[in-house]
Amino acid sequence: MPDRGARAPGLVEPNEIGPRTWLVELTGVTKAFGPTLASADIDFAVAASDVVGLVGGNGAGKSTLMRILCGMIAPTLGRVSFDGAEVSFTNYDAGAAQRRGIRMVHQELSLCATLTVAENFFIEAPQHGSARPGWRNFYRRAARAALDAVFPGNRIDADQRIDRLSIGERQMVEIARATATPGVRLIVLDEPTSALDLERSRQLRDYVRERARSGLAFIFISHKLHEIMDVASRVLVLRNGRVAWQGAASGASAGRLVELMGGEATAIHHRIEREASVRDEVVRVGAAFVDGGAPVSFRRGEIIGLAGLEGQGQKALLRAIYQRERDSAGVVTRAAPASFVSGDRQKEGVFPLWSVLANVSIGRVGPRPALGLVSDRKEREAARPAAERIRLDLARFDSRIGELSGGNQQKALVSRAVAAETLIVLLDDPTRGVDIATKQDFYRLCSELAREGRTLIWHTTEDAELIACDRVLVFANGKIVRELSGPALTEEAVVAASFSHLAATGPERGERRGGERLRLLDRLVDAAPLLGLALVLAVMIAANPSVASVFGIDLLLMPALSLVLVTEAQMFVVGGAEIDLGVGAFAGLVSVLSATLLYDRPALGALAIAAVVVAYAMIGAVIQSRKIPAIVVTLGASFIWLGIGYSIQPTPGGASPDWLSALTGWSIPHTPTSIVLIGAVAAVGALLDWAPLGVALRGFGANPAAMIASGWPALRYSVIRYLIAGLFSAAAGLSLTAINSSSDINSGNSYTLLSVAAVVMGGCALTGGIVAPVGAALGAVTLALIGALLGALGVSSDFNAAAQGAVLIGLLGMRHLADKSGAE
Amino acid sequence: MNPLRKFLELAHSQRWIWSALAVLIFWGALSAVTERFSVASLSGILLSASYLTIVGVGQMFVVTTGRGNIDLSIPSVVTLSAYVALLTIGGRDANLATGVLVALCLGFLVGAVNAALVIGLRIPAIIATLATGYVLATATLLSNRSIHGFAVSPSLNSVAAGRLLGAPIMLLVCIALIALTEFILRRTVYGRTLSAVGQNRVAARLAGIPVERVVAAAFVISGVLASLMGLVLGAYVGGAFLEMGQPYLLQSVAAVVIGGTLIFGGSASAIGVFFASVLLILMVTLMQIMQLPPGSQDMVQGVVVILVLALAGREAVRTSGAPKVGAAQ
Repeated sequence: MPDRGARAPGLVEPNEIGPRTWLVELTGVTKAFGPTLASADIDFAVAASDVVGLVGGNGAGKSTLMRILCGMIAPTLGRVSFDGAEVSFTNYDAGAAQRRGIRMVHQELSLCATLTVAENFFIEAPQHGSARPGWRNFYRRAARAALDAVFPGNRIDADQRIDRLSIGERQMVEIARATATPGVRLIVLDEPTSALDLERSRQLRDYVRERARSGLAFIFISHKLHEIMDVASRVLVLRNGRVAWQGAASGASAGRLVELMGGEATAIHHRIEREASVRDEVVRVGAAFVDGGAPVSFRRGEIIGLAGLEGQGQKALLRAIYQRERDSAGVVTRAAPASFVSGDRQKEGVFPLWSVLANVSIGRVGPRPALGLVSDRKEREAARPAAERIRLDLARFDSRIGELSGGNQQKALVSRAVAAETLIVLLDDPTRGVDIATKQDFYRLCSELAREGRTLIWHTTEDAELIACDRVLVFANGKIVRELSGPALTEEAVVAASFSHLAATGPERGERRGGERLRLLDRLVDAAPLLGLALVLAVMIAANPSVASVFGIDLLLMPALSLVLVTEAQMFVVGGAEIDLGVGAFAGLVSVLSATLLYDRPALGALAIAAVVVAYAMIGAVIQSRKIPAIVVTLGASFIWLGIGYSIQPTPGGASPDWLSALTGWSIPHTPTSIVLIGAVAAVGALLDWAPLGVALRGFGANPAAMIASGWPALRYSVIRYLIAGLFSAAAGLSLTAINSSSDINSGNSYTLLSVAAVVMGGCALTGGIVAPVGAALGAVTLALIGALLGALGVSSDFNAAAQGAVLIGLLGMRHLADKSGAE
Repeated sequence: MNPLRKFLELAHSQRWIWSALAVLIFWGALSAVTERFSVASLSGILLSASYLTIVGVGQMFVVTTGRGNIDLSIPSVVTLSAYVALLTIGGRDANLATGVLVALCLGFLVGAVNAALVIGLRIPAIIATLATGYVLATATLLSNRSIHGFAVSPSLNSVAAGRLLGAPIMLLVCIALIALTEFILRRTVYGRTLSAVGQNRVAARLAGIPVERVVAAAFVISGVLASLMGLVLGAYVGGAFLEMGQPYLLQSVAAVVIGGTLIFGGSASAIGVFFASVLLILMVTLMQIMQLPPGSQDMVQGVVVILVLALAGREAVRTSGAPKVGAAQ
């Protein structure tokens, strides 16, 4: 047992009297992953008003410890107690941690990108959500209040979708959301300032201090040690899964923390003075990226830093150089091959199925001709020296890359660029979230590479790193506004230049303008299905004026009702980032059941339909619990539905129950029944989507991991999603029977793919999280009318399918072009 | 390490072993309980499986490009190609070269159009290939109206149904295709880049891989294989009919996933497609022998696809790279 007495002086503030009650206390916590101990016998406690700075290199065990604290993983050994009372780890999960007031702001953003700011506040605290008119207002106000409290003057719109905010703004929303959680007592901030500029970072630290005074506790994880020293009251240093030191922040210094973490006390930035470069120019950046317009040249052997506040165009320039993107105003030219190292390893670097070796060698293999041969032996030989230069352990070459720590993964990505032997190396924040030892290996390598005559273009968010560069280009509003080199190149000068050019037009304002323009374009695209439908109707009325009568409209639109219903079913599945290929076959099956069993023996028929709807909902359970792609499962299921229907009714026939026919057979004067019914279906879809349930379903489509982390049960909502789809699809089946007065198992087949088309036409994204009930219904009606339109124009029905395909391609093409112009 | 652990480890990296094992067990059980499975029936099953494998390999290339890409135009290409080939060849060997060329062009064109829609217009593959499938369906209807009687070229028929040294020629063609595909996947730059694109498209682009070309090639390969298969299938069945490609929609996807290719992309196995095809054909044959109604055949195939995915699902997710908790720091 560790000696409890030994840590007391560090834990208790000198001015405090008597023992404190810990808000949460971890004792002897050990977590083993196979033979490695991610956490080893850690004692750690937090009291109200504490601000604990948690530091440590990669693999030191910070994330593991925080995940244990937040109930996301259970430790191998150890105890946890709240307010002095012990809680068993077997009953302790993420939900339990949340109920006890622990919130974590993750390094990976945990917002639902296609939901609005206010809706994201609902996801975190759903207890105030109920399907009443105006239920969103509560969350709008909560979002505004929380954002203004933490980040004064932020100008973030609570009704804006998260994916239309800048990265920094998203991080602000995330932090604000955690602070606003009712009953929150401890907030874990994991690298909260990684996407914030200096001013926002300062606001956050001010806020943390202020809230801590009123009793809220924080754990502040950061690689930026000056922030830790600024904000923390206590510091916990982890090293190799063990507590290296903990004590009052006043007893530490940034240098001492680096030592404790296992790095060297003095940062080594080898800036070797090189003779003024008269060497070959390798990159020329034209007017589009330069304030003032004179082109900037990068030469061989240079390290060029790209600096400025977050999102001012540094990344855009890197991408433009990599892709040699031509711009209308100015051209980026590159005279030699380039390789790219991104700090966003998971998204932009790693190939998770592969070994370390394959991950390194792809940089050499990728650009070669497609039919060239690859030899593992040769690649191994070529990769070895590259890996040695950054001290990547050669013994790990055959491990899967995911088994390496973040720092070692980054070393593999750097080795990839070195092994590719390109003259130009583009670095996009390559040391993000990397431990100090790895950083120092990296800095050393950079200066070596430059000495060999390679050109390094280096975007970093750590201003201290810029001192290692020969020249630094400072960005503001997408352009280079300042060049610093020689003695003028200091951290202070970089910071000053970053801010001096941002007087009138801040980055957030630029983002917002872009956001509003996007919205306008989106509205135009959203209107496309309506315009398309109007056009189709206009042509048909021109060809045959009697179409414009109530009878004519019903004749045309009534058959569209079934497709509209199937489309609404498909829409809720697509909203979950899945596609249901069984939805049409299922409508066919329900149609068969209703025209046979339901007609002959109503009770048994109703039971059978209920049973297949339940079976349909169970598909959601299979997909969710086994994590398998919905497309293939539902494709398989479609054969089951068809098989059942075919066995019940091998040839078309049956009859529609009278009450069912009456449902579509009524009429009120001067109103087309079909339009009323289709409108009602769209309204039901819209109502479901508007309600808290619909927001949650969209949330799962946008970011399932975040939903689960917020305590939402994924399995239940997957079942609900398919239950809703099943109900809509079953209604489609009933409508088929009612309209045709008979059934045919194949009658729904063509709807499956048409419904996907209609959903996309209506404005939903196949990537999930966006649902448009009215647009989808309009899309369905348009597609259903194509056959009639061709008939009216005297075209053979052979061309039906081709016309549907062409309309689909045309609309999606237009949508893509609109999105593209909106994104630029 | 005991042999079982060794086997499991091998099967973990070489997922096609499971489908091969399933074929062996299924076959063994059938030979034991019925008299009607013999070496002769095996050759018939292998012949049908060869047809399925050819389109399955095309589907495998598309699936491996990731992002849930699936080629839904395969059935339409198969059908249209059979019609077009019959129309151009008209039963005469002299026209065979033209017919093959036309079929090739058809497959290439459809693949290229699919690729253009997916890459150029960013239309999701499942929608784009569905849309081209619709257009092809109309072309098929028009061909169906203009065709008068079916006459099959004799040499094409001998390829489609003939034997060489006792083995169906199509089986040999299929084995050659598998060998070539495995070589491309494991030993060429294209194979590596295809896997990279399927795993992580952004990273692939930043690693200097011409992502668009890699994806486009996969769609073209799928289109060409489907059209060549349609050409031979038309000769085999001695004609063409509107729905002749339809069974290959579910079966090509089923052959890909049962064979151990990851549905999420990035990892493919052509051998797996072959064994899975044999397995699927065995199942269909068995059901025909048992004289089950066609409806129950559909049901059984659907259930098998879902079961296989449900059993393999977890593993596939793990290997598709959710970082392990311990290593992620």
